[in-house]
Amino acid sequence: MRADGIFGQAVDRIGGEPISARMARRAPIRHLDPTLLFATLVLTAFGAAMIYSTTASKQVEAGLDPGLFLKRQIAFLIGGGIILFIVSFLDYRHFRAFAPVIYGSAILALILVLTPAGAVVSGARRWINLGAFQFQPSELAKIAVLMALAAYLAERKGEVRARDIAISLGMVAVPSLLIFLEPDLGTAMVLTAVMSVLLLVGGAKIRHFVAIAFVAIIAIVGAIQLDLIHDYQIQRLTAFMDPNPDVQSEGYNLVQAKIAIASGGARGKGFQAPNTQTTLDFVPEQHTDFIFTAVGEQLGLMGSATLLGLFAFLIWRALRIATMSRDMFGTLLAAGIAGLWIFQIFINMGMTMGIMPITGIPLPFISYGGSSLITNYICVGILLNVHMRRFL
Amino acid sequence: MVTPGHSEPTFDRTKLRLGFFGIIILAAFIALFSRLWFLQVLASDQFEKLASENRIRDVSTDVERGRILDRNGVVLVDNRASQTFTLDRSLLDHPIREKRVLKKLSVLLDIPVRVFLDRLDNVAASLYKPVAVAFDVPKQAVKLVSEYPEDYPGVNVENRFIRTYPQGNLAAQILGYTGEITSDQLKTERFKRGYEAGDVVGRDGLELMYDGLIRGKPKLERVVVNSTASVVGKKVIQQPEPGKDLILSLDARIQKLTEKALATGIYAARQSYNAPDGAAVVLDPNTGGVIATASFPTFDPEILADGYSFKDQKLLGGVPEDDNQDDGNFNRVIQSTVNPGSTFKVATAGAAMATGVMGPYDYRDCPGALQLSDIVFNNWTSADMGTMGIPKSLEVSCDTFYYELGWEMENNWGAANGDGSEKFQDYLRTAGFGHPTGIDLPNEYAGNVPDEDWCIALARADSGCFDGWLPGMSVNMSIGQGDLLATPLQMAVSYAAVLNGGNVLKPHIGGGLGVPDADTGEEETVKEFETQTAAKLPLDDTEMGVIRQGLEDVITGPEGTGASAFIGFPLDQYPVAGKTGTAQYSATSDLNRAWFVSYAPANDPQYVVAVYIDQAGHGGESAAPVARQIYEGIFGIDKAVEAGSGSDVSD
Repeated sequence: MRADGIFGQAVDRIGGEPISARMARRAPIRHLDPTLLFATLVLTAFGAAMIYSTTASKQVEAGLDPGLFLKRQIAFLIGGGIILFIVSFLDYRHFRAFAPVIYGSAILALILVLTPAGAVVSGARRWINLGAFQFQPSELAKIAVLMALAAYLAERKGEVRARDIAISLGMVAVPSLLIFLEPDLGTAMVLTAVMSVLLLVGGAKIRHFVAIAFVAIIAIVGAIQLDLIHDYQIQRLTAFMDPNPDVQSEGYNLVQAKIAIASGGARGKGFQAPNTQTTLDFVPEQHTDFIFTAVGEQLGLMGSATLLGLFAFLIWRALRIATMSRDMFGTLLAAGIAGLWIFQIFINMGMTMGIMPITGIPLPFISYGGSSLITNYICVGILLNVHMRRFL
Repeated sequence: MVTPGHSEPTFDRTKLRLGFFGIIILAAFIALFSRLWFLQVLASDQFEKLASENRIRDVSTDVERGRILDRNGVVLVDNRASQTFTLDRSLLDHPIREKRVLKKLSVLLDIPVRVFLDRLDNVAASLYKPVAVAFDVPKQAVKLVSEYPEDYPGVNVENRFIRTYPQGNLAAQILGYTGEITSDQLKTERFKRGYEAGDVVGRDGLELMYDGLIRGKPKLERVVVNSTASVVGKKVIQQPEPGKDLILSLDARIQKLTEKALATGIYAARQSYNAPDGAAVVLDPNTGGVIATASFPTFDPEILADGYSFKDQKLLGGVPEDDNQDDGNFNRVIQSTVNPGSTFKVATAGAAMATGVMGPYDYRDCPGALQLSDIVFNNWTSADMGTMGIPKSLEVSCDTFYYELGWEMENNWGAANGDGSEKFQDYLRTAGFGHPTGIDLPNEYAGNVPDEDWCIALARADSGCFDGWLPGMSVNMSIGQGDLLATPLQMAVSYAAVLNGGNVLKPHIGGGLGVPDADTGEEETVKEFETQTAAKLPLDDTEMGVIRQGLEDVITGPEGTGASAFIGFPLDQYPVAGKTGTAQYSATSDLNRAWFVSYAPANDPQYVVAVYIDQAGHGGESAAPVARQIYEGIFGIDKAVEAGSGSDVSD
């Protein structure tokens, strides 16, 4: 059985009744993509194991529970699972109506985080304390921008005009600027990437991209001229081109990360093997942004390639769902999610391997962090949602 | 663009756009995988090395170095523990902090900061091992640093071993000294394996030559450190093994009296001459073991015990107007290459017999002057002494006799008059001249046996021999003049060969290795070094016998040039034989090098004594009395010599 086309009206040549009509009579849950769900769980488990391996020895050294980070990640997984269920249960087409509300509340949260209500961690206001859990509004903003832009561009039905580009840019610029002020350059870049994918799939012309590139250059030059971008941010972004191994410098992370990954070799040194870069804690921020180094060192090329394969599978499913979606909104949502992931995967892994600049972008499903995991689970929920309702 | 069968025109275009997006995604994955492949497959080994450099440090802990003992167990070099301040560079990596700590230490110990910086900047010092910056620190300072470690980050108190010299400056030039290995040393063959920066090693003399044997094996630990440099794992990869004691052929008692006799002789010679420096060596002719070796001036080795530079050394006995070799570290026994004068006639006599220009009982004339070709060579006296054999020629030290032999050898085999096979020079090299004797000391000089090749090289360097090899060169060489240069040790070795049946021995100071008995503390020899013969003289017993006869007559004969120096010496009990030498600086100069090479007892030689004093008149006048004093000491003839050994020689 296969569904043909995005807004497909394919006809079953034997029955004479449109397949879609027959499929539509079934409950959406019967059209679930179980492989996507399965891949998500495998990736999360993979990540949890890596989080444990990067935090256990440090926790033991500090006399704390070695499984603390693992347990917390599992708690996030459970929370994420519940939210995934809710998100996939409601028909995604209702999201179009909610999109402005979600977008608006995301903007409000982003403003709130810049007020004293926002918690400051290592110089950046990125979190809002919600009791035991710190919530990162910029993660919510990814979903909000995705939905709002998808909803807007779906209305254009593939005919994108200059005015639509301007509106899209505006819709991304407001949250991006707020996130940029936290400061969190990485997430602002993610939003821009999502927008680019949505415009690409949504029907923007080449000249539109040229115009966007032009605006982007002016914005970057302007930001540097107005000293909105700090020197340390520029140093971070350019450090990968000539990493300085000095402990105090940004390049230290890069050098240690590369050593960890490359020394893993083809087979890896083994999970929790003693005397590794991982267990001796040579890679800073290893359980969050630099978690891929633990994969590379402990599991080698085999483990790293497996992870890449899992990601490729996930993104293939997302793209497949984009092509199968019944409407443009679903297509754009799925494509946007694929863009969200591939951008983060490429920047994060590329950063640890020294071919991309250092930005605080987590590796989806693998890096430690509740907001990031839950956001990714929402994305999976949306994908499942679109997939389940491709006949309705 | 409407495609039949599809209700919406955007369908195909959206699919196309998704396809384009898919290609971008594919490219991203390919890029990531390629980079992974490069890092984990192609460059993995190189990064694994970096990873181990990150975490692995080898730390060595020095063990106690073997002592140096004389042949009777007298300790010449010992160790003592010293409270030492060390600086851990990894804790000082911040320049401001480093400055502050060094300033504090400087005030505490009253040592300028510059001294600490010099030690820290020493590239040879290990990066991981703490660097010793101050030895023998006062108790008070130790207490302060131990009680307030936060005020002195990186400063540690360690017990380090320091060399001590219970016999003072006895045998200073040969013992050498120890210090942290230099970066130049690390590159040498001797220190290539098993040594690392920061190791304390022998830097000169016996300490250097026998370093591998007496150093022992340091404890080597491989430690694993984490990112904060705390040690998380440790493995001993080499168990410590204390160094073995080096037992010398040297006799401390004879060494002491030899040094004293040389100094006394030089101070005595300074009554009439410059006598800036000199050397004396006592050799066992049967084993090649050096029993005593003295070079004057000398220095105090204690100054170098912790490895400081020679600049601060205290010179003992040097004279200010001396040449640039007044360095007390200059060991004249092996480094002074000068004309040996008439003492060399033994070698020429041997060469004449070995090459066959004369038999052991053949005679030659001893005129007051000898004209060879168009040059007149004068004897030391203008009187014609008639015809004589080898013994007499040695006794009266007839120069013309030997000019004649040199001339004959030149005419047969010389490069100018003969066939160029240079048999004279070949014999001299066999007898130990023109190359280092191979003694177990560093930087031994080769001396020179002039031949045609040497002449050509000299001319090529534009520094002499412009007319090529001349027959007169062989003639001059025959009495130890001209360009024939030898060290006192080479002279002793060449004499020993005539005494022991023709064995040109490789002299040595190290005799074996020992360890103190755990219970009694008495030294037990665990290894004896074997006597090595470098070459064999092509002479038979008769030929060597006539030479020995001549050397005995020098002392006992009526016209013996060394007789006057031994008046009153109990020659009947302790027969001495030897040869004086008075080498002229040049034909016009009245400066002479005084030589005396001798042995005793003449009937059963146990000691070869070679004495050389620069600018000190006749050999019989300045050098022979030194040898006499040495023999008196060895045989216990004049008790005053030994009893007076404690007093200051410069009185």
